[in-house]
Amino acid sequence: MELLIYGIVNSMSLILMTIGFALAYGVSRIPNFSHGALYILTGYMAYVFFAMLGLPYFLAILLALLFIGLVGAALYQFILIHLRGMPISEIIASFGVGLAILEFLRWAGLRGMAITIPPFIRGTTTVFGVILDYQRIIIILGGIGILFFLYFFTSYTKTGLAFKAIAQNERAALALGIDSDRAAVLAVSMGAVLAGLGGVFLLPLGNITVEMGYEVLIFALAVSIVGGIGSWKGVVYASFLIGFAQILTVRYIASHWHFVVALLLIIIVLIVKPSGLYGKQKELEERV
Amino acid sequence: MSPQNEILLEVKDLMVFYENAVAINNVSLRCQKGKITGIFGANSAGKSTLMSTIAGLILDLKKKEERKGGERISWFGEIKFRGKDITNVEPFERASMGIILCPERRQVFPESTALENLKIGGYLATKEQARTSLEYVLDLFPELKPLLKREAGFLSGGEQQMLATGRALMAQPKLLLLDEPLLGLAPSVEARLAKAIKKINEQTDITVVLSEQYARPVFPIIDHGYVLENGSVVLDGTSEELMNNPDVLSAYFGI
Repeated sequence: MELLIYGIVNSMSLILMTIGFALAYGVSRIPNFSHGALYILTGYMAYVFFAMLGLPYFLAILLALLFIGLVGAALYQFILIHLRGMPISEIIASFGVGLAILEFLRWAGLRGMAITIPPFIRGTTTVFGVILDYQRIIIILGGIGILFFLYFFTSYTKTGLAFKAIAQNERAALALGIDSDRAAVLAVSMGAVLAGLGGVFLLPLGNITVEMGYEVLIFALAVSIVGGIGSWKGVVYASFLIGFAQILTVRYIASHWHFVVALLLIIIVLIVKPSGLYGKQKELEERV
Repeated sequence: MSPQNEILLEVKDLMVFYENAVAINNVSLRCQKGKITGIFGANSAGKSTLMSTIAGLILDLKKKEERKGGERISWFGEIKFRGKDITNVEPFERASMGIILCPERRQVFPESTALENLKIGGYLATKEQARTSLEYVLDLFPELKPLLKREAGFLSGGEQQMLATGRALMAQPKLLLLDEPLLGLAPSVEARLAKAIKKINEQTDITVVLSEQYARPVFPIIDHGYVLENGSVVLDGTSEELMNNPDVLSAYFGI
């Protein structure tokens, strides 16, 4: 039971960490390598607004998310827009921005274990005989909520449908009056907000550190490669696969192996099915 | 000028270059409002380039090639829509002016259901317009009704073409550009679609420009036709005039 519940928590955490990366890539075909930095930056801004400026906690979180949305939009509007269609440049540029953000935060004082944001609700409860803190329950509910929101967003709203259209065939979408640059800036911005949401849900469990930013990027890549890059179904399945594999490793082998499992799965998937569980080889070819 | 023969689209001395190669060479054409204009020519005659230049997609292509440092694409001349120069207007703005392209090889959104394809087509429409248009499309193509929940990528060629045409209609076109709508279809389906295109033109006030390699199936429905060869207009006239031209008959109409 404990394995099952913590497996679900861990899988949901992975979904929260990576869904923003998948959304931005799915719509705009931009691999946003500053994803992990945006995740940490949101947590840090929430800390600044809450602990340093003394704002109410939920207002601080809201402001931090708003801030990160603007950062995402600016990232596209001022940098990535010039590099569209050149994946290597997109990767280098966004990774560079991520490095700059993270190392700036380190310089600005994000060192050691001192900086943290509190959970939404303190305390623990028992679920099916397993002791679980409220924050982890919130993570499960929040993850499900975000997945449902994204499903409805892409199925029933005009912007969501436009996202889907651009992701499948940009030229056909353009011919129907959908502005691909506007869709892309929205997608990158939304991806940033989702990264930030992941941050505010997950960071209360530990400390806000620069290293965590790099780790989140690696997890985002692992989930994307295992699940098939840009595929939503892939994100969910890969998160559960990696999530449970990690929990089982921690339980039966050793806890410091949990990071290696994700990397091992990348290699296995690349050997067995290079396009990922739900990826399409065709898309990869078109990209090249 | 009476509204009866108002010129909706006018292309004047259009030249399009891909790097140094001429794709469109000094093409001029006029499309009357409410009529069907055909553009005929062999592969690589410039039909699709002309269509995507009218729809503005070439601006997007140029932008992408420039970012990549690829081919230089340039054009000269003028495209006028309802008397306004639109030569350098972005494609999505042209779409909201009512110029809607149904691209070559249908280009449906393969992973979306047929219904979702139509909904995406209604991006520019109001809720009310989308509802009426959806009804109209399903009335025009009742074959699509049982397929609405099916993924578009799994539909047959004819069904995909109906879907792509319907999707374009959802976008509230004033000028509907159909790029090779009959490409690769069985003869019976060709006839079915040609009839539907005629019906669209008669029942709505939508002006149609269509391009085809083989003119025969669409010949009965066009009002005016242009024949392209190596990027230039070599012939133009009403359907009767083209029909009575022996060169045209053998070379382009396969009669």
